[in-house]
Amino acid sequence: MNNNLSLLIPSILDDYVATVELPWRRKESALDSETIFRYGAFAGSVIRVYPSLVRAMDTARSHIRACEESGRSVANGSLIIASTLSLSKGRFSRTWHAPPGGLWGCLLVADTFLPQFRNFLPLIPGIACCEALHQEGASVAAIRWVNDVLLEGKKQAGFLIEGFCSPVYKENYHLLGFGLNINNESFPPELLETAVSLSQVLNRPVELSSFALSFLAKLRYYLGLLLYEEEQWLARGGGDEYLDDHPIIQRWKELSDTLGKRVQFGYDVMENPQYEALVSDLAVDGGLILRHDDGTSSVEHSGEIRYCEK
Amino acid sequence: MMSDEIDFDEILGKYHSDPYEYVDIYASHTGRIHFLIKEGDEVDAVSGEWNHIPGTALFEITRERNPKNVTATTNGVVSVLCDEFEGKFVEAGEKLMTIRHPLKKKEIIESILKEVLYVFPAPERAKYFFSLDVQSRVDKKGAREVSVKPGDEIIIMSLMKRDTPVYYSGEQGVIHSVYFKPGVSVERGEPLIGICPSEKLPIIQKIINKVKAEWDKND
Repeated sequence: MNNNLSLLIPSILDDYVATVELPWRRKESALDSETIFRYGAFAGSVIRVYPSLVRAMDTARSHIRACEESGRSVANGSLIIASTLSLSKGRFSRTWHAPPGGLWGCLLVADTFLPQFRNFLPLIPGIACCEALHQEGASVAAIRWVNDVLLEGKKQAGFLIEGFCSPVYKENYHLLGFGLNINNESFPPELLETAVSLSQVLNRPVELSSFALSFLAKLRYYLGLLLYEEEQWLARGGGDEYLDDHPIIQRWKELSDTLGKRVQFGYDVMENPQYEALVSDLAVDGGLILRHDDGTSSVEHSGEIRYCEK
Repeated sequence: MMSDEIDFDEILGKYHSDPYEYVDIYASHTGRIHFLIKEGDEVDAVSGEWNHIPGTALFEITRERNPKNVTATTNGVVSVLCDEFEGKFVEAGEKLMTIRHPLKKKEIIESILKEVLYVFPAPERAKYFFSLDVQSRVDKKGAREVSVKPGDEIIIMSLMKRDTPVYYSGEQGVIHSVYFKPGVSVERGEPLIGICPSEKLPIIQKIINKVKAEWDKND
């Protein structure tokens, strides 16, 4: 198995997009894929690969700070990747085990999005990861709202987005942290029942840098699609609210197994599950529409779910 | 704005003579309006353990064949209905009705405090929680011992698994009132916290005591 990530450089990613991803998109989608990829080309325009880091999010903040303190702006779409993270964590300080063999990192995205479109950003990494897993042969991959990726009911990938206001120029960034279990097959006892890696499901090792290229190319596409649809919407007249059926929402629905499931909902569902309900749909803005046992419905935009049934 | 010269009689007199809040309801976006209530109707607010039971349906607004029911978020009586808009197309921000909401003692105190505290509003409809540093200080000493100044990262806004720090802008002071609960959504523009310069805390307490005493006496 090859877990060498040093081959990940922007020019190779550009080549991959031009020779593999773009032709595939042209075949699969009626949208203007070439323009979409141009809009998303900033993602991975700079790639820094480290053998190990404490936390990729912290490195991203330090990198932005260091750039600005030396009189420069950080490149939008800079990507920080590490072969291993020593103190990685999920939300609410949950454990995230990041040994060699996985894909761990952080993408810096300048907040240039219209307010009506920011909600779609967290849906993107789940879609990109799920598509990459399907292409690798893991057809069972599915997204659990908002962006957890599950293989056979266990978490294969997790994403979190933290805002950061740069110290000198006061630019707002989204730090998109990602953790994908690819070839790493040992988990600490507390994660054994809930976490899984791609190689465990496929029963074979996976070429890590190839998988990373596929995932990053898809991230480029969907980030580009977010900006492309903003432009299209403005050309259609824009407005206060975006009420159209966003192609990101459409794709999310195709790849998710959340709709129709009975779920536990909570802001921190592991520590404090609040209620159970049935997921009836996804709202146009990405919110989760939940039908309660008394027949009423509500929409949740923050929080997380766990499936009630296996 | 905070003032040492607070005319308690005037404030209390105002609430005694008219113990209501008048909540204007506006069109959230352009669309054709169809009212679902009439003037004088009583309306209920959102309810249920998880705020999952919607309030009374007030009107339907239709844009591009996409109808949306707008429901009451506060209880009360429809005191003004702009029924000239029935069946008409309105612009975003058009006033459609007023709901007269009867105030409870606690709401009156909060209402007066919002006039005298610096109220920091929610930038977006989202869930909010204190940043780790502020939360640990609140846990240790209580909110009213926690001082904030402009530029401090005080609150985290959480929306669709996207956590964004919110930086305080306003008068330096201590956190007197906390209007959000962890895990409960706050609408854009609704107050998150009320800040008061620490030297003004005694006068704030005086207001609360005075309102409680006066209100109980008159009740």
